[in-house]
Amino acid sequence: MEHKKLQLTPLPRLYLISSGEEPFNLGTKLLEQLKRLPPALPCMVQIREKHLEARALFSLALQAQKIMLPEGTLLLLNERTDIAFAVGLQGVHLQENSLAPNRLRSFFPKLLFGKSVHSLAAARIAEETGADYLLFGPIFDTPSKRRYGSPQGLEKLGELCQKTSLPVFAIGGITPWNAASCRAEGAYGVAALSIFRDSTGLSETIEQFYRALYP
Amino acid sequence: MIPQAPFLCFITDDALSPVALTEQALRGGAAMIQLRHKSASSNQLFSWAVEIRKLCRNYGATLIINDRADIALASQADGVHLGQQDLPAAAARKLLGKKYIIGVSASSPSEAVQAERDGADYIGFGHIFPTSSKEKAFLPLGPESLGQVASLVTLPIIAIGGIHAENAASLISLGASAVAVISAISRATNPLQTALELTEAIKRRVE
Repeated sequence: MEHKKLQLTPLPRLYLISSGEEPFNLGTKLLEQLKRLPPALPCMVQIREKHLEARALFSLALQAQKIMLPEGTLLLLNERTDIAFAVGLQGVHLQENSLAPNRLRSFFPKLLFGKSVHSLAAARIAEETGADYLLFGPIFDTPSKRRYGSPQGLEKLGELCQKTSLPVFAIGGITPWNAASCRAEGAYGVAALSIFRDSTGLSETIEQFYRALYP
Repeated sequence: MIPQAPFLCFITDDALSPVALTEQALRGGAAMIQLRHKSASSNQLFSWAVEIRKLCRNYGATLIINDRADIALASQADGVHLGQQDLPAAAARKLLGKKYIIGVSASSPSEAVQAERDGADYIGFGHIFPTSSKEKAFLPLGPESLGQVASLVTLPIIAIGGIHAENAASLISLGASAVAVISAISRATNPLQTALELTEAIKRRVE
């Protein structure tokens, strides 16, 4: 089984997350969108399809892994380290209540381990337990997260970024127009959740994000 | 190691905390525990797995983790059990190597044959009798189906589905190496007593 060695080059600053609406039968939007990623603009891409059972997720991830992606693009899978490894992805993204990366690292030394955090305390634990990067949010108001209370805001993002040495990706209500303000607070990059949901203008949106993130 | 036949396997109940019930099952003679909890976070699952692994070591029992090969590795369990909708057995084998046990669920002779071809170490076969533990999309296979499967595969077969102390022994006679139960133990008034009765029923038959 071949595993692309984790790049020593810096992580891409734009982080895309799949729609969570992938069908079971692989007649899939995600694969089409991956094929349309603009060349020369590498991204982090997390496959996050929590409703899929392991077999369907395995098939989807395997198909995604076979696509020629822009050089430097890192493909990650939500939660399932075993599946990420089995299909040869570059990493796995763990939720705040998922297993700590250092419990898994020795078995999967080549995988990148990301962790979602929603507080300073959680960020500290994630760093101590071996996370390679953090997703922190929601930064801005976003309909899908309203039931969890008010957004964290830019100020908390800035505080968190100061207190961790890990790259932090801001998530939640991020657009090409507020991405620069996240960078200004010390965020390494931003994560866009809905970008794959709207398949029209994918390249254009990515280019807009790029202009904000790499001025 | 797969326990010596015939043995009892206890599969934890999705709706209940697994550790205390597992200990009752082990005290009652269960030689294999399958930790199955689809809705728990992986951190929770891992904590349970570590606790249950310690119990299993004390009782000389085997611990199998349902679905999650990564948790099986991290918790130093003995293996993983894969349903037809889980990770393919061949992919799990590449990850786990030969030292780990891989069990595969089958609900037809052809799935059992395929599981053997894919490199499984044992087959979970059922459901044999009507069961309340899981929503089922098909009718029970009936005890006779065990004989058929046993003639087609060489792997140990663990019969599952609606098994209790009164019908367990007949399944061993028909070719099962073991019987697995969930609710028979987890929902019993006295889980320890029920496990003891099951163990006695399947062992009695070989004497």
